[in-house]
Amino acid sequence: MRPLNDTDPRQFIADFFTSFTDELLRSDEDPGLIVDRYHTPDIVQFADGNRMDRDKLIAHTRPVRKNRPSSRMEVHEAVANGDRIAARCTLHVQDRKRSLAIEVYFFGQFMADGRMRRGHTLTRTLPADLSAAPAQSVPGTPERQEASA
Amino acid sequence: MRHSTYAVSGMACGHCAGFVTEEIERLAGVTAVVVDVEGGTVTVTSDRDLDMADVRTAVEEAGYELTAPHES
Repeated sequence: MRPLNDTDPRQFIADFFTSFTDELLRSDEDPGLIVDRYHTPDIVQFADGNRMDRDKLIAHTRPVRKNRPSSRMEVHEAVANGDRIAARCTLHVQDRKRSLAIEVYFFGQFMADGRMRRGHTLTRTLPADLSAAPAQSVPGTPERQEASA
Repeated sequence: MRHSTYAVSGMACGHCAGFVTEEIERLAGVTAVVVDVEGGTVTVTSDRDLDMADVRTAVEEAGYELTAPHES
């Protein structure tokens, strides 16, 4: 995992989510150890208003491992200010049952070593006809950064 | 109508709720499913008694774990 200060924020966010998911899916390691490499012990995330602490985050690794999705995080834009990052992304997910694209609006706080301490995420599932097309770029923003797992 | 509430672990967001709902709604007799993501519960309304094993299978098919019947 890269430290935040040395990395372009778009690359940092793409790498963070991709690497975390990749470690969960490519090993049978205790999920608590993997979660702890990417998050502080007092991690709190709000996903669409639902509070998720360390224990809930670990519990959420079970469906990820069971469904074994392939995913690609497309970061359209990201800005960093000190230890905080705001990003607009599209998460493309395909598992054994479905294929979907989820637009993600993310605000997060990270430690200097790259671990997440706070995360606020709002999402919306894109309609099928839009999920297959490239996400629309915003004038004046840099090119997208993509990573896949 | 019968209402049963189950404890389900691993749900984190509205997408999780949708996946669990989709599987439970396939069970014969189910008329409504209400998920409380933060509370970790799923309340199922049905027009007949549901077999716990069928509900467990549906929850696990979605990738989640039915930890206990919360109340009946």
